[in-house]
Amino acid sequence: MFQFINTLLIGITSGAIYALMALAIVLVWRSTRVINFAQAGQALASTYFGYQALQYIDSFWIALIIAMAGGAILSALIEVIFMRILLKHTTSGAIAGVAPIIATLGLLEIIRTLVTLKWGGADVIVKAPLSNTGFSIGSNTLVFSPMKLAIIAVVTVLLLVFSVIFQKTSIGLSLRASAFSPELARLAGIRVDRIRTLGWAFSGATGAVAGLLLVTNGNGSLSPASLEFSLLLISGFIAAVIGGLESLLGSVVGGVALGIITAFVLMYISDSLFFIAPFVVLLLVLFIRPQGVLGKKGGRRA
Amino acid sequence: MHKLSNKARIAIFIVLGFVIFLISNRVDELRVYQGATVAVYVVGIASIILLTGYSGQVSLGQGALLGVGGYAAALARLHWGVSVPVSFAIAILAAAAAGALLGVAAARLSGPYLAGTTLALAVGLPSIANQFTFLGGEQGLFYDVGFPPASLGEDFTQYKWFFWIAALATLLAIFWLQNVMRSRYGRTWKAIRGSDIAAELAGINIARVKILAFTLSAGVAGLAGALLAMTIGTVSPSAFPLALSFSLLTGAVLSGVTTLGGVMIGAVTLVAIPEIVHSVVDRIGASEAVATNLPSLIVSALLIVTVIFVPNGPVEQMRTKSKKVKSL
Repeated sequence: MFQFINTLLIGITSGAIYALMALAIVLVWRSTRVINFAQAGQALASTYFGYQALQYIDSFWIALIIAMAGGAILSALIEVIFMRILLKHTTSGAIAGVAPIIATLGLLEIIRTLVTLKWGGADVIVKAPLSNTGFSIGSNTLVFSPMKLAIIAVVTVLLLVFSVIFQKTSIGLSLRASAFSPELARLAGIRVDRIRTLGWAFSGATGAVAGLLLVTNGNGSLSPASLEFSLLLISGFIAAVIGGLESLLGSVVGGVALGIITAFVLMYISDSLFFIAPFVVLLLVLFIRPQGVLGKKGGRRA
Repeated sequence: MHKLSNKARIAIFIVLGFVIFLISNRVDELRVYQGATVAVYVVGIASIILLTGYSGQVSLGQGALLGVGGYAAALARLHWGVSVPVSFAIAILAAAAAGALLGVAAARLSGPYLAGTTLALAVGLPSIANQFTFLGGEQGLFYDVGFPPASLGEDFTQYKWFFWIAALATLLAIFWLQNVMRSRYGRTWKAIRGSDIAAELAGINIARVKILAFTLSAGVAGLAGALLAMTIGTVSPSAFPLALSFSLLTGAVLSGVTTLGGVMIGAVTLVAIPEIVHSVVDRIGASEAVATNLPSLIVSALLIVTVIFVPNGPVEQMRTKSKKVKSL
């Protein structure tokens, strides 16, 4: 029982981080119909923004906000400078369908290289603001630590803020309308281009939080070549697919579900399945419910 | 190239092989090794062109299939002691089998889903090799094609031997690929790429044809993997990183995915840019960090510029231009 709860808590924590990445992917997908693989690079860069901020200030939480702002600006710039031109040019031709995907991969490499040039290839340490030693209950020590609790809290707060923005404000209404039908939204007087940029900015900020929390949830070391960010991207993508790729709530559910499933497989079956478990989950979802667990029928678009 | 008869094509390939043979005797050791690398890239890029350009599917995980081929070749040679050509054949078959499995999944997936799934494979497969002891963990396995035969003379170097094997395998692979693309299947793939609905109405079984494309492409990728393993001498997770998948994809886009005609462009670019950057950096005396990172920056920028301005590749671009001029 003790082990069960422990595993569940670990799963929820990493799942919360996957959920953020899934959210970042879904926000861009809804506004632009592109899976933004560069998000792994953006999250990496934003995490370095946070690391840089921590060199001047002591508070991790202020650094987190700076990283979010940096990530949002970076993401918005990518949309304005790069995606607009790209989508305008690649409307026809043999690889029109895959060109944006390939281009975001190129962008991922560019961001990663620039980060390496700026901060060097060696590991740097982002110090966690709270202890990563687990709570103890009686004589047992949980793996669940104050830092993990804080991660769940941060993700919850962020999700609440998002749901207020999306459900209660006129900006949120514009975002939802533009995602539902850009043409209709434009006719209704919404500046779809600006709203799209805003969606990218939200996505960048979310990715920044995912990146910083990922690093502090682990051992705090950060390097441009780290496989962790690629894995974060993949986990986020899988979580988004579980959620149906369209729904914000779905991606959160997908992320947490993926985190819990992975944690239980690692604990109870074998810890060598670290990668295989999410991949099998992805294939199962794609075969059994390609529209996503929460998605509607016909929601899967090319 | 489409109007050439088979005899003429065979003749061209023989002449091409002879020219490559002559060049390999004239240049120094480093260039010969780079030539072998170009050959590996040519085969890898061709496998992507077959898949993406001809059947319209995208694979971001071609590096993983190269890995399957490389490991299969190494295992076969280590445990069964098969000859080099047989180990190549085993690499092709193993990767094709993996590709068939992937193809069954891929045939049901469109655009972003397929891209994400293959990307997941590229990230994860190399790390799986770490989990099993018979795959040699982080160190990997040795893959040794042996010394060049003594009959070639005393000063015939190992690298030249690599290059000869790679060049011959590449020529055969490209010749075979051209045949496939000119066949009924090639036309079917083009039809699907044009419009899968129209193709289906014309009576083409889309799923089956897509799976076949994935299988053949994976087989070619497996050959590239075995060749890569040969030039490095080992197979290990670090030999088939995510970056390899990206490089091949970049090479394919630079070559132009719709035709095999430009396949050399991408392969040579991938090998030449680091070389050029290094010599330029040496001359202007920039730092080591710049020298190591600048090539990937330039290659990625080229990728993006190509995708935006010449999405079908330079060769196709020139063809359309010359057609326009003729019609005027």
